[in-house]
Amino acid sequence: MTFDSNAFLIIFTGALIAISCGFLGVFLLLRKMSMTGDAISHAVLPGIVIGFFVSGSQRSLEVILGAGLLGILSTLMIDALRKKAKVQLDASIGITFTLLFAIGIILINLFAYKVDLDQECVLYGEIAYLPIDLWITPNGLNLGPRITWLAGINFFLILGFTYFLFKELSITSFDEQFSSAIGIPSKGINLALMSMVSYTTVSSFESVGAILVVALLVVPPSTAYLWTKSLIPLLRLTAALGILIAILGYYLAYWIDSSIAGMMVAVAGAFFFGSALIKGNWPLGLRGTSKSNPAFDS
Amino acid sequence: MITQVPQPVLEVHDLTVSYDQQPVLWNVDLSLPAGQLIGILGPNGAGKSTLIKSIMGLIPPTSGYIKIFNKPLQEVRTRISYVPQRESVDWNFPASVLDVVVMGTYGKLGLFRRPGKKEIQIAEDALEQVGMTAFTKRQISELSGGQQQRVFIARALAQQADLYLMDEPFAGVDMATETAIFQLEWVIMLNLHLVASGPKDQVMTEELFRKTYGGKLNLHTQVTDLIRKQDFNPLKS
Repeated sequence: MTFDSNAFLIIFTGALIAISCGFLGVFLLLRKMSMTGDAISHAVLPGIVIGFFVSGSQRSLEVILGAGLLGILSTLMIDALRKKAKVQLDASIGITFTLLFAIGIILINLFAYKVDLDQECVLYGEIAYLPIDLWITPNGLNLGPRITWLAGINFFLILGFTYFLFKELSITSFDEQFSSAIGIPSKGINLALMSMVSYTTVSSFESVGAILVVALLVVPPSTAYLWTKSLIPLLRLTAALGILIAILGYYLAYWIDSSIAGMMVAVAGAFFFGSALIKGNWPLGLRGTSKSNPAFDS
Repeated sequence: MITQVPQPVLEVHDLTVSYDQQPVLWNVDLSLPAGQLIGILGPNGAGKSTLIKSIMGLIPPTSGYIKIFNKPLQEVRTRISYVPQRESVDWNFPASVLDVVVMGTYGKLGLFRRPGKKEIQIAEDALEQVGMTAFTKRQISELSGGQQQRVFIARALAQQADLYLMDEPFAGVDMATETAIFQLEWVIMLNLHLVASGPKDQVMTEELFRKTYGGKLNLHTQVTDLIRKQDFNPLKS
């Protein structure tokens, strides 16, 4: 398999998902809420199970709605624990998502004999199977891979979201109190962002898996953050990194015959560590252009 | 009770504000006239920032109410400008000086609308007023503390408001910025941080304030009624 249509479809879909997650991830990063993406990706499990139980299908609207509601519930719970119960943010994230995830597992075990669902299929998708999962209309028309369509719709949704709410997203990320003071609905914007994160996480799950989604939410924005000084270049570089990660991840996985999603995460990690090595403030000797380390002076 | 001024710009009635059911401000009553520079003086922890934040609606009051330009806050938000304390944000945020100052115009722009040439012009004028024109393109993390403060003041100026509420605005600003603040019309409410060496009731006296602030100082009467919990919290105008 060299550059054929399957390779193109996988890379194209991977890049769409990487850019979508990256755009949302930038604002999570700036709000110091990157791990909320991880929390949401686990906390939606009960919603998926309930949606699945109600509809009997893994790909139903009920599943997306259930997961979306649980995603929002988890962000509200994290916020409430932090503000009302005075728990640290990291602890409240940990408490919320483990509890909701556990409830999801209990639900699966309660109903598993009735439905074909397990944690595996929710948490680990496989992007390699994407070209054979086709969207075929009732009258037999083949529209191509279903997941590529889904990723495309999500991409335009998120592009529109960041474009139209750019001003609101940036001001509430920088100075929430000031935005509330001048009448920008900070809480509403935050809720909208969290809903988008929930929806994106859930709709990307079965195609690329939760780990890749979480990685794409956190790693490309953090890498781009090391190189850029303002918001628009930060978003642009995040998108460029997303495309690079999809291309390199695919070919490296093909080369050593390994998981594509896993390799994409590894490539993203490599980009980050490479950038951190160049831009970070390391002791003398670890990087070429280092400032002199006072410990070695005199 | 403080004397009612005719047509007050800002009225605070019987305001009590609590954190975790622990009152921080008690039965605050004040009414401020237009066209004045007003400072809240008080020692650390007296509730000066809390008072400003509750006037801005950022902390819900336990009891009492606030009227600005004789209306509830929600109706006049765009006429009020707010300068939070500099430490309240992360200055490593990827934004230039101009980006931050343009944020001052967002309140009047409304949802979805993007800042255009007019808003950028307002922001550039505001930067000129605080003497920061040379730093327009600079990233905010590369500024000194005083320069960051001036950026915040420029952002407040870009709001083109009638009432300015500033939380410790003089920390590290230069003369030009101070002058720009003093030239604003309507009311400016400042939080002036005071450091007392010695017992509060002996150091923070009217007499010592007059010495410090000279002829400009005009203490409002019955100052202790303002924030009853504290020994002391007068207003200067």
